[in-house]
Amino acid sequence: MQNKQEAADNFELWARLVQDIAETRGSNAKVELCANYFAQLAPSEVSLACQFMGEGAFSNISGKRASVGARTIGVAAADYCGIDYDIVFKACRTASGSSTETIQRLFENLPEARQKNTLQHWNLARISELAEELTQTRGRKDKQRILTRVWGGLSPLATKYFLRLLSQGSLRIGFESRSVLQALARSSQVDYEQLRYAHMLTGSLAKTAELACTNRLDQAQFKLFNPIAFMLAALLHSRSVDHWQDFIAEEKFDGMRCQLHAHGTKVELFSRDLNAITNQFPELVELFGGKNFPPTVIDGEICVFRDHTIQPFQELQKRMGVKKPSEALLSEYPVIFIGYDLLYLDHEAIVSRPLTQRRRSIEKLAKTYEFPISKQHSIDSKDQVDQLFEQALAHGNEGLMLKEKNAPYSFGERKNHWLKVKRPSGSIDTVILYAQAGSGKRGGSYSDFTLGVSVKEDPRYEEEFIPIGKAYGGYTDQEWKDLNKAIKGCIIDRFGPTAQLRPEIVVELEFEAIQPNSRTKAKYTLRFPRFKAIRWDLSPKDVDSLEHVELLFKEHQSKERSPQKSSRSFLYPK
Amino acid sequence: MLKVKKARYHGIKLPELSIGLDYSDADVQHIFVSHAHTDHIPRNRKSLQGHTSLAIYATPPTAALMRLRGFKEDIVELPFFETLTTDLFAMTLYPAGHILGSAMAFIESGVGNILYTGDCKTPASPATEGFELPKDRQVDQLIIEATFGLPIYQWKSNEELQSDLMSFARKALDEGYTPIFLGYNLGKAQEMMHMLSELPETKQIHGAGYPLCAVYEEFGIDLGAYERYNRASSEGCLLFTPNSGLESGFASHIKKKKIAYCSGWASHEARRTQTQAHALIPLSDHLDYFELINLCEYLQPKRTYITHTPDPKVVLHDLQQRGHDAVYLDMMYEELE
Repeated sequence: MQNKQEAADNFELWARLVQDIAETRGSNAKVELCANYFAQLAPSEVSLACQFMGEGAFSNISGKRASVGARTIGVAAADYCGIDYDIVFKACRTASGSSTETIQRLFENLPEARQKNTLQHWNLARISELAEELTQTRGRKDKQRILTRVWGGLSPLATKYFLRLLSQGSLRIGFESRSVLQALARSSQVDYEQLRYAHMLTGSLAKTAELACTNRLDQAQFKLFNPIAFMLAALLHSRSVDHWQDFIAEEKFDGMRCQLHAHGTKVELFSRDLNAITNQFPELVELFGGKNFPPTVIDGEICVFRDHTIQPFQELQKRMGVKKPSEALLSEYPVIFIGYDLLYLDHEAIVSRPLTQRRRSIEKLAKTYEFPISKQHSIDSKDQVDQLFEQALAHGNEGLMLKEKNAPYSFGERKNHWLKVKRPSGSIDTVILYAQAGSGKRGGSYSDFTLGVSVKEDPRYEEEFIPIGKAYGGYTDQEWKDLNKAIKGCIIDRFGPTAQLRPEIVVELEFEAIQPNSRTKAKYTLRFPRFKAIRWDLSPKDVDSLEHVELLFKEHQSKERSPQKSSRSFLYPK
Repeated sequence: MLKVKKARYHGIKLPELSIGLDYSDADVQHIFVSHAHTDHIPRNRKSLQGHTSLAIYATPPTAALMRLRGFKEDIVELPFFETLTTDLFAMTLYPAGHILGSAMAFIESGVGNILYTGDCKTPASPATEGFELPKDRQVDQLIIEATFGLPIYQWKSNEELQSDLMSFARKALDEGYTPIFLGYNLGKAQEMMHMLSELPETKQIHGAGYPLCAVYEEFGIDLGAYERYNRASSEGCLLFTPNSGLESGFASHIKKKKIAYCSGWASHEARRTQTQAHALIPLSDHLDYFELINLCEYLQPKRTYITHTPDPKVVLHDLQQRGHDAVYLDMMYEELE
């Protein structure tokens, strides 16, 4: 009989493997480590190992969440090692930029935590049960009691990864579900593409592994009303296009991405993060449910559409997140669904067919069932793209999508088969007011910044500068280092992870849109703010005023939007 | 008790004795430089010029390193354990274990004594003169750095770290890779060279660190066979450079290389992606949290001042719970490692 400590499905072994993967550079080497590990496991164990690697404690399709908050975990961890949560734990978390890493270190270093530990050598299935127990438990105190029990049986390293499993996020080891599938393909000697297809259809790594390990991949079935991951677009400027004629162009709508599943009278809508948003848009459910569709999955966009015109994204926001919207809201912000891709039709997933074929199918479908679809333009030159781009902006749309004619629908991937052509809405000169220590990749240094505009001559305010937005990116690694150096000389005060700065460093901030927001001091917030440039050449007196921001907003709101009459960005076959 | 004043960007001042500790202003008569890292060397050199009444003290190795790094003012060399006596005070320097020449100043006066640690490490870094405290003296006031003053920081022993460095180098070389050690040019580089001196491969060090090595050898630290970094012959050597070197082309021609980031900050996982290193080796020249608390407990000073710390509340909280009178001296906190 195998020694308990040496069982291959021991969670400690799994955690050590995960740490090894984190410490290995190069995706091929990581995949190989993982494949070798899978090869030692029994088929039933591979499923769970895969799920833990790529999805977390629960399968993505289970809909389960451990729902243990960061504070609940932090407070329990501080208690567990006998330190003060507010004074000691928070300071450690700020320094390391990671709550789970902090817990690992504290449990390693503090005698009080070490004394409570007796390694239990739990296997993966047991860990899954313990996570399950957490989902079944209500109340912070009870959850903390379970956590404490788990910690007492795990090494600090395994504790770190157990906690990351609970968050259903990434393990943060540079090894996402794609790599897990590659490792699985290698260890179970099946074709990667076949595996990926099965994963897309099952939506579950555990299920995929189970099928792969038992030679039943052909049983993978697409399930209507289970969302599949969206295909994503890369930015055009990142790679230039060699042959324009390989692509078609569509206008990029100023709305929200949506996957529509329909069959008979049943309709489900899914957002980009694969959450059901069906009850937010009853008019779409009514419309599509009334058409008696065959089993169908359409990828498309929801937009507010009024007076024959696509309305700005800000209007759609009034509808987003509102379950069972009122009649008033429905009539003030009516939405349409514009389809642009077809993934499934008549019990058959057609994602692997080239775009041109899928397009023919959706055109036919749109004609039969009367729903709007995007208008496609064939292109053969940059000039033509520029011209279409201007037309898209005139329609009030964000820009263009270029889609490769021969490409399959690469669900869940951001590749160069789809390219977006966008122009940032604007930029303003701002000054850094606060810097916050980041987490994750830039942990332990200042990486989040609160930017301010000038209200020096604004009678409504007493301050010199007030915050307008927070930016986390857009700077290069070198700029980030320079910023961190410069910030050290400007710190006035510290509040936990946040440093208040003398307003000195001027940043040109780029954003997608300005939105009114009555909860903020400025009454406006920026959408997708990011660094365009650090303006070492400018001083705080060059910073734009709040009045300037207000003016930009008004200009954008009153911008003429061409109605969808003579020139159209989508087709409505009738 | 003596008055202790922080002078935000200029170090610490003991106004009654007219002493500046790692201090940059000319409004004192005596400046003590604890070691030759730039954030401790007087910066405001213009204001120091021509002040004949001002004396700058440092140990002989620190003085030599400062001069090599371009410090032009006169330095009064005060060897370890020798006492400088003036009308107001007697100052004796003790080895701090941080880098070669690094010293703690023990200052005795009519109104009590002060131990200023500068940057320190105990157990000492192996490439230093060791770490020693004043014997048979009750320390009244202790000014101590807490760069790693959080309980997430606990170092491995020097022996374990040496073995980590050795096996990283050995494995890389055996697999046909050139090992590169990232660390600060003064102190960390020489410490690693010393710890790796048994390896027969030639060590090549970044041009800015190279001249400083001679001082280490002069003061008896064995660095093995080493030379200045030479692009043409660097492949297959052990290479030493600060981070910034890599960004400006150091070893950029070597395809097969393995990089180890060696610093106390290497205990943060985030540094893996930030530095693009293959290995993180948490080799620090500062006290870890537990060493810091132990040292304070051992000394039992009447008052402790904490400087250079990521979050002063943590050390203060712990010391106060143990019955210490501890306060925070708000200095800029540098990530110099």
